[in-house]
Amino acid sequence: MDEYTIQVLSNIGMFSFIALSAYLLLMTGEISFGQQAFFAISAYASGIATAMWGWPLWAGILWGALVAAAAAFVLAWPTLRLRGLYFAIGTLAFAEMVRLVFEIFRYQVEIDGELVGPDGSDGFRGVRYAFENDISNLDYMLLIYGVLAAVLIFFFLMGRSRLGKIFRMLGEDELLAEMQGVNRTFYKVLATVLAGFIAGIGGALYVHLNTYVEPKVFNVMLGVHSLAYGLIGGLGTSLGPLLGVAIDIGLLESIRIFTGYRMIVFGGLVAVLLIVRPRGLLDEEVVYWLKYRMWRRLAGSARRRPEATPGEARDAGD
Amino acid sequence: MIDFIQNTVDGIMIGSRYSLLAIGFTLIFGVMRRLNLSYGPSIMLGVFVGTFLFVQYRAGWFAIAAATVLGAVLAGIYVERLCFWAIRQGAALASMVSSFAIWMQLEELTTLVFPDRTYPFPRLTGARPFELAGINIQSTYLIMFGCAVAIMGALSFMLYRTRFGLALRAVSENPLAARFMGVATGRITFLAFVLASAIGGFAGYLIAANEQQVTPLFGLWATFKGMIAMMLGGMGSVPGAILGGFLLGVVESQATWYLGTEIRDIAAYGLLFVFLVARPGGLLGQRRAERERLALRRV
Amino acid sequence: MLAIEGLTRRFGGLEALSGVDYAVAGEGVFGLIGPNGSGKTTLFNVVTGLYRPSAGRVRFLGEDISRLGPHRIIAKGIARTFQTPRVYARMTVRENLAAARHTLAGAERRAGGEARIAALLEATGLADRRDELAKSLPLPEQRRLELARALVRNPRLLLLDEPAGGMTPAETQAMARLIEEVAAPGRACIVIEHKMDMIARLCAQVCVLNFGAKIAEGAPDAVLNDPVVLEAYIGRDGGGA
Repeated sequence: MDEYTIQVLSNIGMFSFIALSAYLLLMTGEISFGQQAFFAISAYASGIATAMWGWPLWAGILWGALVAAAAAFVLAWPTLRLRGLYFAIGTLAFAEMVRLVFEIFRYQVEIDGELVGPDGSDGFRGVRYAFENDISNLDYMLLIYGVLAAVLIFFFLMGRSRLGKIFRMLGEDELLAEMQGVNRTFYKVLATVLAGFIAGIGGALYVHLNTYVEPKVFNVMLGVHSLAYGLIGGLGTSLGPLLGVAIDIGLLESIRIFTGYRMIVFGGLVAVLLIVRPRGLLDEEVVYWLKYRMWRRLAGSARRRPEATPGEARDAGD
Repeated sequence: MIDFIQNTVDGIMIGSRYSLLAIGFTLIFGVMRRLNLSYGPSIMLGVFVGTFLFVQYRAGWFAIAAATVLGAVLAGIYVERLCFWAIRQGAALASMVSSFAIWMQLEELTTLVFPDRTYPFPRLTGARPFELAGINIQSTYLIMFGCAVAIMGALSFMLYRTRFGLALRAVSENPLAARFMGVATGRITFLAFVLASAIGGFAGYLIAANEQQVTPLFGLWATFKGMIAMMLGGMGSVPGAILGGFLLGVVESQATWYLGTEIRDIAAYGLLFVFLVARPGGLLGQRRAERERLALRRV
Repeated sequence: MLAIEGLTRRFGGLEALSGVDYAVAGEGVFGLIGPNGSGKTTLFNVVTGLYRPSAGRVRFLGEDISRLGPHRIIAKGIARTFQTPRVYARMTVRENLAAARHTLAGAERRAGGEARIAALLEATGLADRRDELAKSLPLPEQRRLELARALVRNPRLLLLDEPAGGMTPAETQAMARLIEEVAAPGRACIVIEHKMDMIARLCAQVCVLNFGAKIAEGAPDAVLNDPVVLEAYIGRDGGGA
């Protein structure tokens, strides 16, 4: 596998985390334009941990994600009462504030005679853990996908579980869910924290691969993109956001003739897609059709089991 | 104390830029209940058309202003047809993301055709700043302030004294009911969009003329400032947009004076956040029931 | 079972409910009627915790639930339907019913869920729609789905908001029969309706609201012929269904 492919695949993997993070919130019916804040917070926190405190990589990543989750917890409360567009803009404002704070954030220690640490708008260089420990790009890519697989399994299990069902109930009709006994406060805060954690994993992985990060990476473009990935790939399954990321980064990146025109083409395609499929390629109806009708058609002739319905087996809907 | 007053006056003057931007934003939102993330970039396209005329043909200020407005309107129509009209009713999120996609498209288009970092734009007036009761006032800002107020007056007249305005308000209140009463909601929405783009284009012209230059960063900046000012004043309220712009301008100039330019933007977003949490309806507070109806709209 | 004392709810300057006293026994079907805008749905909203009372109290099974959030109130055994049917559009009929059980505590949840759902689907005539997306259901079936869903947790108190709204006379009859069956021993139903024949047939007691205040209460015959009630309806905007 050549270096370029590894790089593209790594990027797809890393940005999938933030896409999944926005997707989780969309499942509960909230639009967030601000998940990049947690991506950023974790990038800095984990970078500080490994590059300045000498922690091992796994601890740094975990630390970064936990700090991001804590920040999400803090954000959850003031935004709890906000609904719809107000929530979206609130998260946007928060994320921009975080970015701007990082533009002036300075924390440096001297290591081996050199100043290491976040340096305001110059960013945070020298996060060289992977480099210093001889982790090849291929190894790192496998790490990314390993963790991503774990997160996808989490989504899959969650989808089958009560938690996932409750999230979807909130996403479908919050009022109705409350009228059926769902404790909105608890589940919304939980969703925000989980989403922050997941975005955080992505951020920590990002900073260690690039060895360097600067605040302007975490702008609103990243935020809206993360949301857009889910909307393009489809909101019916957690594979939807991945598909969206893969389409943007993978497909278009690789088609060299579009260099310089990439956004014009991509933007136009997205706009057209959203007209035809406003909830993405793999939206709930497609997923329903694939899982239920296809299953039925395939299994129909082989076995006839009138009692055990596909409905139960299909409860896997993540 | 004199500083505070000077900053406030400056803030209001500077804030009129934001007010002008916010008016268009809020008009679109009021009618469609959706955010148009391409608003700034559409204006930017218009402004670049204006600068093109200036650089290539040394055109007069009227032609440039007209071209700017026209460019913004054309871009606005493109966005409206593709991102809003074409997408079915219940899919507000799809419209917003689509408008974001077109934002990127318009930005890239602009940077392709105009690759330089900055382009000159003819200035508004050569007049020098003057003093009034010990406070410095820049004439260009005064013009913008005047325009903002004039536009608000004209809009209020239109909204409350003409049939078109009535139809617009009807569609903003309840599109379904309006349709049942024979209002051509599609056409009204389209016209509102055109109007908003025209106002935006004019705002863009004034801002660029004040800066005497244009850069590709204009689109993002305009969208954000317009959006913040709109939220501060209350989504869907035109007088709110004006006040919101002033408020934003004042907070920014005070923050810059007392805390430094780095804090300025943090203060702007902080202000927005505080308003969202404490008074989401904005300055001209929307009623709670109205807000809930807005927000509970299905995605 | 349900006792409402001096219930008042204000929205800004508007008093949607003004000092309403209303009590409902543990069993049977009770009617709640009144012209449009008289506060019936608001009453339901306050009882289920969507709004806090501006004044007054709501007691359920002896407990004061006025200040509780909706999820706690539902857990105590109240269920409701909505004026315009609210269902989870992108879930199947079966999933819609299953959803109501997700917030039950463990043991309760594990006990015979599917069987109960199947029984409810049979009872409401939705068995063959089991795996269809809820949004594809026509209105009368969506209303029946709402009813089935409200019954999943075996509520003590059922609040039905215009369950026959938009239905033909035949469909209304069917819904009335359904409600009769559903008002089993140990369960009380409050029905908001504009269809007086349905109210007359179903309800032992009827309460009438107008402009947020109670103006009459009693047996259907008495109430429906009460001149005060008639004036409230006709004097307004022609009332009725």
